[in-house]
Amino acid sequence: MAKVTIKVNGTNQTRAVEDRTLLVNFLRDELGLTGTHVGCDTSQCGCCTVHVNGRAVKSCTLLAAQANGAEVLTIEGMAKKGKLHPIQQAFSECHGLQCGFCTPGMIMATAGLLKDNANPTEEQIYKGLEGNLCRCTGYINIVKAVKRSAKLLRGKAR
Amino acid sequence: MADTHAPHHHGNRVEDRRLVTGTGKYAADWSLPGQLYACFVRSDRAHAEIVSVNAEQARKYPGVKRVYTGEDALAAGYTKYFVIVSYPGRGGKHIIKPPRPVLAARKVRHVGDALAMVVADTAVAAQDAAELVEVEYRDLPAVVSAEQALAPGAPQLHEEAPGNLAFDFESGNEEAAGAAIAQAAHVTRLKLEVSRVAPSPMELRGCTVRYDAADGTYHVHVCIQGINMMRKQLAAITDVPEDRIVVHAQDIGGSFGQRSAAYPEYVAQMMAAKELGRPIRWISTRAEGFASDTHGRANTVTGELALDRGGKLLGLRLDWISDMGGYLSATGSASHTRNPSTCMTGVYRIPALYGRFRLAFTNTVPVAAYRGAGRPDMAYVIERLVSQAAAELKIDPAELRRRNFIPKEAFPYKTPTGSTYEATDLHGVLERALKFADWKSFPARRRRSEKAGKLRGLGIATVIENTGAGLFPKDQVEIEATSAGGIDVYTVSQSQGQGHETSFGMIVAQTLGVPLERVRIRQGVKPLIGNHTGGSRSTAGAGSACKLAALKLIQQGKSLAAERLEVEPSQVEYAGGVFHTRGSKRKVTLGELAGKKPINVMAEGTFGPTFPNGCHITEVEIDPATGVTRIVAYNAVDDCGNVINHTIVEGQVHGAVTQGAGQIFGEQVVYDRETGQLLTGSFMDYCMPRAGLVPHVRMQDYPVPSVSNALGVKGVGESGCTASIPSLANAVMDALRPLGVPPVDMPFTPARVWHAISSAKQKSQ
Repeated sequence: MAKVTIKVNGTNQTRAVEDRTLLVNFLRDELGLTGTHVGCDTSQCGCCTVHVNGRAVKSCTLLAAQANGAEVLTIEGMAKKGKLHPIQQAFSECHGLQCGFCTPGMIMATAGLLKDNANPTEEQIYKGLEGNLCRCTGYINIVKAVKRSAKLLRGKAR
Repeated sequence: MADTHAPHHHGNRVEDRRLVTGTGKYAADWSLPGQLYACFVRSDRAHAEIVSVNAEQARKYPGVKRVYTGEDALAAGYTKYFVIVSYPGRGGKHIIKPPRPVLAARKVRHVGDALAMVVADTAVAAQDAAELVEVEYRDLPAVVSAEQALAPGAPQLHEEAPGNLAFDFESGNEEAAGAAIAQAAHVTRLKLEVSRVAPSPMELRGCTVRYDAADGTYHVHVCIQGINMMRKQLAAITDVPEDRIVVHAQDIGGSFGQRSAAYPEYVAQMMAAKELGRPIRWISTRAEGFASDTHGRANTVTGELALDRGGKLLGLRLDWISDMGGYLSATGSASHTRNPSTCMTGVYRIPALYGRFRLAFTNTVPVAAYRGAGRPDMAYVIERLVSQAAAELKIDPAELRRRNFIPKEAFPYKTPTGSTYEATDLHGVLERALKFADWKSFPARRRRSEKAGKLRGLGIATVIENTGAGLFPKDQVEIEATSAGGIDVYTVSQSQGQGHETSFGMIVAQTLGVPLERVRIRQGVKPLIGNHTGGSRSTAGAGSACKLAALKLIQQGKSLAAERLEVEPSQVEYAGGVFHTRGSKRKVTLGELAGKKPINVMAEGTFGPTFPNGCHITEVEIDPATGVTRIVAYNAVDDCGNVINHTIVEGQVHGAVTQGAGQIFGEQVVYDRETGQLLTGSFMDYCMPRAGLVPHVRMQDYPVPSVSNALGVKGVGESGCTASIPSLANAVMDALRPLGVPPVDMPFTPARVWHAISSAKQKSQ
């Protein structure tokens, strides 16, 4: 067993978990943060994307123990005081989601992508979302949502 | 020109709030007190006798409660499987439904066939213990191709099905089609593969079953397409009465036909939940999903299209072989017989049609409905034949279509295979699409691509499909108006991403003239009669019932208001949630009327099939050096009847077009021909579409309202697949044909396209 303390969405969480516990299972099973989804077992789908110390990371690629002491941001931490984060707002406005299963991962990946490149081209968005699969939308409205997010965030920043 | 962004509704669906904040509830998000965890032991062989299953070590593993095997399934009698086909086939012979124990007993028939279930205190204990189950097999030869399975001497899967033939079905007139082909001036022949694909909704399949011993009820929390279909199947397999099975679901992470079935795992969990007295939870892995979630398509079709010298279609004959996998799924056999045969004439007037459909067992994952369920397959075959014939006869492919369309005045059109197409305007759709896609200037665009060293192809598909089939005879919707002014609408259809809470909400809100915010759509919580969401039927069916129920609420409200206002009901008028007397200022709101007790109304209806149709014109550019193909133009003109919410309809088309493009350019489930091993068992090997595969879809509506339902809508969920698959394939063939490339099968992967180009070049040298 490993004793792990992770700051999740601003609150320190300490749990004793089996060594093999993945970060995604820590979030879902130990903390009940079920907004982070599991869609594969080979780190291809990106449904479990969260931020670890400010970087977008697939939480199935990391043991909880490896995230000990880290700061983790999940989809549940994106909206502030009931107000949607601009990326959440953009996904909804652009109909960038249908079933919603990939959406938390898409939103977290988008947040990561826009941190590196505040105004990406379509090609850069395709590349940036290569690690996130969606089966419903055909991605067309997701790409639109990423562009809209970028616009909203840039507007906010200036 | 109609703009697809008409001011109807821009995103911001009702369901979005919870889904973008991570507060949706999918199958894996149910967590029941005291739950135990199941893990399945699956066959690593394609075809083998089970000599023994030794679970001794697994049973001793800490935390393990019980290990179930095929013998437990046999003892429980859980060996039936629900199959919707009940109509006879050729010569009046019925489909053969071999037994399927919910845990494989004595024999396994595909890699991934579940043969034991370990139940333990934790998921990891169950998984660890499952690895300790020792299975001794006696290997049998395997067959993974339907054509080979039907050939003499093939390994036999089920003793009940000699020659591996599950069903031999026919449609149309064999003699007439034969004569037309024998006498025709020109016959175009193609043998086409509609490849086997993995539907792969992003949510992993999962189920948690709780048994309530007090009233003998099973509570099944599972990803579904509708509560009624799931319950009906579970009851059929277990003989538990339907009213003792309650199905629970909130959010479903995609489905595409794959979630409609009651899978064997769920029944095994029912067995354990009752015996162990605790909820049993199981969440699939993606690896298990590839090896046990039903696959789609998997047809090999030989088509012959007869034409006269003027390019008039005279006859069509198809020899259609479908791969059913190791067992019959609930829907697959209907998806590959009735569904394609209902639209076998496509959009054309063809005097003589005949199709023979043979369904074969193979050592592969069972095949079931997948977005379009046989209709895209049929459209693919017809549209490739028509474009091939156009090329052979040197007629413009749009012109060949134009000459053969069912004329406007022939609607409603009774097809030679027994469908009655409702009215549409095929010529209107085509002309609009040709203009929209700038068909005439293609040669200039092709030359431009050539200058850049690329091969450019133009593809067209004009398609139609029947939608709206269901298992239940009618669709009911209940509305409850509450004192707080809320309008709760109950339906048993189930969104898996289609946005029912928004579009159904809009239907009710618009009918009642109240804000959408006051309407709440509740799916699957009241026991009503009605169909699941599948076959592009929900807006036409449940959506129509929503409208009727709202109208009924106004009627009922008028009588209640008349009493309250002390006038005759005929004196009461209604607008915007308020009843008032004619010519006076006295009024009462819906909410006030519901003050003491909610007003309940229920409406129902049987809504006929709808026939969405459209013309998709696409352009691709191929890099001959690498075989990489890019979609450079996608133009879609669709008649999907009246549109409730443009944004949602657009989303449905985007998604379906991309699934079609996925199948055309990369997706394919591959089995090793010798060993029957699954070679595409993860997203590393199975080529899912990614962002950018379909960069843009230009869309235009060409609505001809349906007369078969209360809204004038036509099903739109699948039409994008039905049109994109043939259109894109035709575009690729159009790019390759000038090089002398003979017909190529999907998927048009870079390797396959590159090989086709190089061998054509070698031949011409």
